[in-house]
Amino acid sequence: MRRRVVIAGCGVVTAAGTELEPFWRALMAGTCFIGPLRNFSVAGMEPLTGTEVELPEEDARQEDARGGRCAQLALAAARRALADAGLARGAPGLEGAGVVIGTTLGEERQVGELDDLWPASGVDGIDPGFFSRSDNHRLATLVARTHGLSGPTLVSATACSSGNAAIAWGYELVSSGAADIMVVGGADALTRSIYTGFLRMGALSKSICHPFDRRLDGVSFGEGAGVLVIEELEHARRRGASARAELAGYGVSNDAHHITAPDPNGEGTVAAMRQALATSGTTAEEVDYVSAHGTGTPYNDVAETKAMKAIFGERARQVPISSIKSMLGHTNGAASAIEAVACTLALRHQAVPPTANLAEPHPDCDLDYVPMKGRAMPVATCLNLSAGFGGFNVCVVIKRAP
Amino acid sequence: MSAGVGSAPVAITGTAVLTPLGDSPDALSESLRAGRTAVAPTAELGGAAAAAIADFEATRYANVRGLRLYNRPTRLGICAAKLALAESGIESAGLPKEHVGVVLASTFGHLETLIEYDRSLVTAGLQRTNPALMPLSIPSAPGAAIALSFAAKAFSVTLSDGGASSFDALGLAARLVGGGRARACVVVGSFSACPDLLRAAWRAGLLAPASEYRVFDRRRAGVALGEGAAAVVLERLEDARARGADPRAVVAGQASTFAVDAGCLEPALRRAVERAIRGAGLVPGDVGLVSAGASGSPAGDAAEARAIAGVLGDGAAETPVMAIKANLGDVFDAAGLVQGIAALSAMRSGRAPGITGLEEPEVPGLGYLRREAAIQARHALATSISYEGACSALVLSRPDDR
Repeated sequence: MRRRVVIAGCGVVTAAGTELEPFWRALMAGTCFIGPLRNFSVAGMEPLTGTEVELPEEDARQEDARGGRCAQLALAAARRALADAGLARGAPGLEGAGVVIGTTLGEERQVGELDDLWPASGVDGIDPGFFSRSDNHRLATLVARTHGLSGPTLVSATACSSGNAAIAWGYELVSSGAADIMVVGGADALTRSIYTGFLRMGALSKSICHPFDRRLDGVSFGEGAGVLVIEELEHARRRGASARAELAGYGVSNDAHHITAPDPNGEGTVAAMRQALATSGTTAEEVDYVSAHGTGTPYNDVAETKAMKAIFGERARQVPISSIKSMLGHTNGAASAIEAVACTLALRHQAVPPTANLAEPHPDCDLDYVPMKGRAMPVATCLNLSAGFGGFNVCVVIKRAP
Repeated sequence: MSAGVGSAPVAITGTAVLTPLGDSPDALSESLRAGRTAVAPTAELGGAAAAAIADFEATRYANVRGLRLYNRPTRLGICAAKLALAESGIESAGLPKEHVGVVLASTFGHLETLIEYDRSLVTAGLQRTNPALMPLSIPSAPGAAIALSFAAKAFSVTLSDGGASSFDALGLAARLVGGGRARACVVVGSFSACPDLLRAAWRAGLLAPASEYRVFDRRRAGVALGEGAAAVVLERLEDARARGADPRAVVAGQASTFAVDAGCLEPALRRAVERAIRGAGLVPGDVGLVSAGASGSPAGDAAEARAIAGVLGDGAAETPVMAIKANLGDVFDAAGLVQGIAALSAMRSGRAPGITGLEEPEVPGLGYLRREAAIQARHALATSISYEGACSALVLSRPDDR
């Protein structure tokens, strides 16, 4: 017998804000935060475009000497999520909680620092701290250590579906009774390999990303983190916590198509959506809003549009689907976790966020992408889609709190 | 009888290891019983302890597309997966690929490729880097390559939990298979330290001088990094029996915890062990064999011994304890799987290997095997404490007891 799981708290650190309400207002207004980067550059490249997080002073101070930028973002979002869930350190039931952090790139910047020193250091001069600082497990253990959590600590790497995957594994642990509370989400920092790699593959936008738009020409990157505290329903009720939403289930699939390119027909996305609906006891008719993966690449956006039609049939044009990556850029492993927070806020505010930078839809994209401005509407059930480089798709179902 | 980790009992139907002491579970257990060791001094690291596979040729085991592009830990993982799938007979069972999943335990499997790519950016410049390397440089890449090699379409997940990785991977995979997310799942652990990582570990003082390398011993002086891969194929016990497969074992219990500071390693592991045994529907007295993770770590080995002794209580001295890192070094992401597979071989053959080099145990009262011995066990416990403080426990049972 599966136990029911609720979302008890959320936290984000994004270019659009590091607190939930300003973050939500900025999204609803359709504000695009993609622009010239001030704190991150790559030698040999033009000034880069993307989004950066300005962490408040107290978060910057939190940076553990042994953790890099990615861990710092994860720690900042986790702190906010636990506070939002009303769980201070030492709160009853919190000690047994675990952590799952998803990441695409992890502490890759540690490798960058190693390599910057490389021509001079050579193999004999390698920083002894590199062994532990390049260990991505720290993204979870630093969160656990900071908050005194002694449950399982997992780091899940499934490229850009990592945040959703972390939510799914947390759901497995809570719904099966292995844990009562899990701190789950995703974090990623900007790295030079992702910029240079996408540039060389021709998948980096030349301006800013335009998901589903005629001008779509590739991805804009960003950094950030999104973390949710998920909890068994009765456990949350007993401590008088207010559930923000129900985490009703998830679906997964793997394209096994190509190491980088997704299946062009979106079949993997369809399979993940079908499994998510079936295992959460949700019908396609109940779905009010779909948070798209929506990266702004033709491959993704057209395949995702096809997947919507396969699931919703005639109704596809009546189901709003939007990509907040149009405002935040693609925050890699953080993206789907931040989008899960946006779904939770959509339920709270009874409104859905827009796709910014969408003036004229791409000829193969003919759905309701909520262009430019958010929209007030009744929302009871959301699907949160994500697809990873390498082909792993995760769809999470988030419903109104029971 | 308990349901075990998943919501239905999950069996191991195929096993594989690639180690310096043998490329099959039988060959490895023969080497272990003979007391052979792969740990040797590394000349360029001042005689520090390490173990490596001398003559690994991937094409001897697997012939899959793209093999030559993949780095050594990825190839090791692909080959282990191939061998385990072959042993399980699942490939000839005609299972649609939509029902096959992959979970890879890999924290550092991408690192060599990332360093190669990133270092070429620094030393040769953007235009001279090989763009094909970038997609293979992210933490999820080795797992994506394994899933692509076998067209596994149910899911493809990488867990990067350091020394706890393959315990957590086995636990997650058992939950996913038990819950019906796949009919079969190959769980792989793979580890091969690239030169930078090995050198950083040495400079950080982690590695013992080879001449002083021993585990559980009062005079232990640090760890030895090993090399290897292991894989198991999981199916529901019911499905395995229905297709006439020979289940090797049942994944009866798995639990992981985190020690928030170094002072609580022992209680954290104790909690994990108690939970895994309880989850298996057993009592401590049912454990007939312990396959310990002792790695020569000053803090970890003592805490592990005390935790095992604490849980086993009066039966501690009579319960045989094996510790294969004494012979293989720490195969890190693969360690839990190798420990489990070695324990299965011992249970099946009724002969368990001694702990090579153990003279004076730091913690008395455990049934440390000093030499090869006859055992009778129906349930084996594998344990581990990672350098980060993640504590893991796994219970494997003989299938006729389930």
